[in-house]
Amino acid sequence: MPGVDHCLQEAMAIPGAVGASIVDYTTGFPVATTGAAPNSDHEAAAAGTADVVQAATSRSLFVSALPHDLLEDLIITTAGGYHLLRLVHTDFDSRLVLYVWLDRQQGNLAVARRRMQKLADELVAT
Amino acid sequence: MSASKTATPARLLTQVSADRQTGALVVGGHPGGAVYVLEGRVIYAESPAAPGVGELLTASGRLAGRTWQNALDQGTSTAQVGRLLVEQGHLTQGELELCVLGATYDAAYFTLAPTMAPVEFLGGATHWLGPIAHIDPAAVNREVRRRTKLLDDIFPDARVDTAAVTPVARPPRERVTLTALQWELLVHADGQRTPADLALLLGRAGFATIQELRRLAALGLLELPEVRAEAPEFVRLPRARGTAVGVPRSAVRPDDVPTVPVVAGVRPAAPSPPPLPSPALVEPVPAEESTANGTVYRPPRLARRKPGAKLPKEIAAEPPQTHPGTDEVLLKRIRTALRALR
Repeated sequence: MPGVDHCLQEAMAIPGAVGASIVDYTTGFPVATTGAAPNSDHEAAAAGTADVVQAATSRSLFVSALPHDLLEDLIITTAGGYHLLRLVHTDFDSRLVLYVWLDRQQGNLAVARRRMQKLADELVAT
Repeated sequence: MSASKTATPARLLTQVSADRQTGALVVGGHPGGAVYVLEGRVIYAESPAAPGVGELLTASGRLAGRTWQNALDQGTSTAQVGRLLVEQGHLTQGELELCVLGATYDAAYFTLAPTMAPVEFLGGATHWLGPIAHIDPAAVNREVRRRTKLLDDIFPDARVDTAAVTPVARPPRERVTLTALQWELLVHADGQRTPADLALLLGRAGFATIQELRRLAALGLLELPEVRAEAPEFVRLPRARGTAVGVPRSAVRPDDVPTVPVVAGVRPAAPSPPPLPSPALVEPVPAEESTANGTVYRPPRLARRKPGAKLPKEIAAEPPQTHPGTDEVLLKRIRTALRALR
């Protein structure tokens, strides 16, 4: 049975992954973490992740353009890496996002995005 | 293990975990709650202000109430309700873990945030859900402090967290933008429901609920509770009404009815006489009631009022102290305690 730890292990198996976490984006709290984090601080990274997701969901108009047009993922590219945020939609009330940090040289954005989609779905799928 | 004493719940949790103990840290007060520790690691927490795993899963429709109840019936005695749900295929391991983690941090906030509360550690107590998560207590305490600060950064008024939610009738601005959860809260706020009631009703995390309520309060969309609704600075004694017990009654009795001593004997000898209305407002006792045997004592009645009319000022007692949600909180604490015994 894939649990939270298993999900993070799988995320680290994505080519180029250097760190992964599951973040509660209402509070900016890292529910589970593994590997490296920007500035070696998973808690600060989680708080930053939450800010970005909040900005996209509640302070921008992208996700309210159409009814039921839910946010799927956010991708931030920097010169040195890719930061992928995938929303985990659970049936019960939670606001969780799967975050994976990829090395720019070794990471492949398209592959990583598809793998994360699968992971986020498997985590909560029956 | 240790008797109930007033202490800082978070500090006691640190002590208990340093000794790698197993049991339940039960915190009293409002809202109170319990944190379950297994060999020094936090496995679950519950509080009346935060919906538990069962409420979250059933309120959202993720599990049918019957499925949840079945799992409770089968797994409570052996403390493996969570494992049963996964083994029977009702939930994935990931869902269960995420739900437990969310509910635990949520309840831990309400349980551990007070700086002083009656605290008791019940050694050996386990939770019927079974150990699903194993969280470092230091992380829990850190997160509780962080959440307290998050709320105060939004709107530094803790009364919003507990008082019945009343939206303002007229928004103080022309244009209002709400998030989906804020909308849900406003639609279901009826001036009676407290934040804890709303969280349970909607199956939303307790902290997320008060976070949005603080945001709404900051926007000026909520009526703020009265400044000194409770905690008066002095104890108010009941007003003296009438001079002596017998005097008003004998004054209003029709003259033809003899005042027999039995009347006085029937009255219960209460240490403090019940407040009697002033004579002017007492209805004369109808003749037929007293003529039957002459000894029937009828407590003086007030003149009939219109529905909804207030009691006359002289008679109106202090309004009974209302603690919204007290019963519910009490029932939940009893439930928590009973579960701990199983």
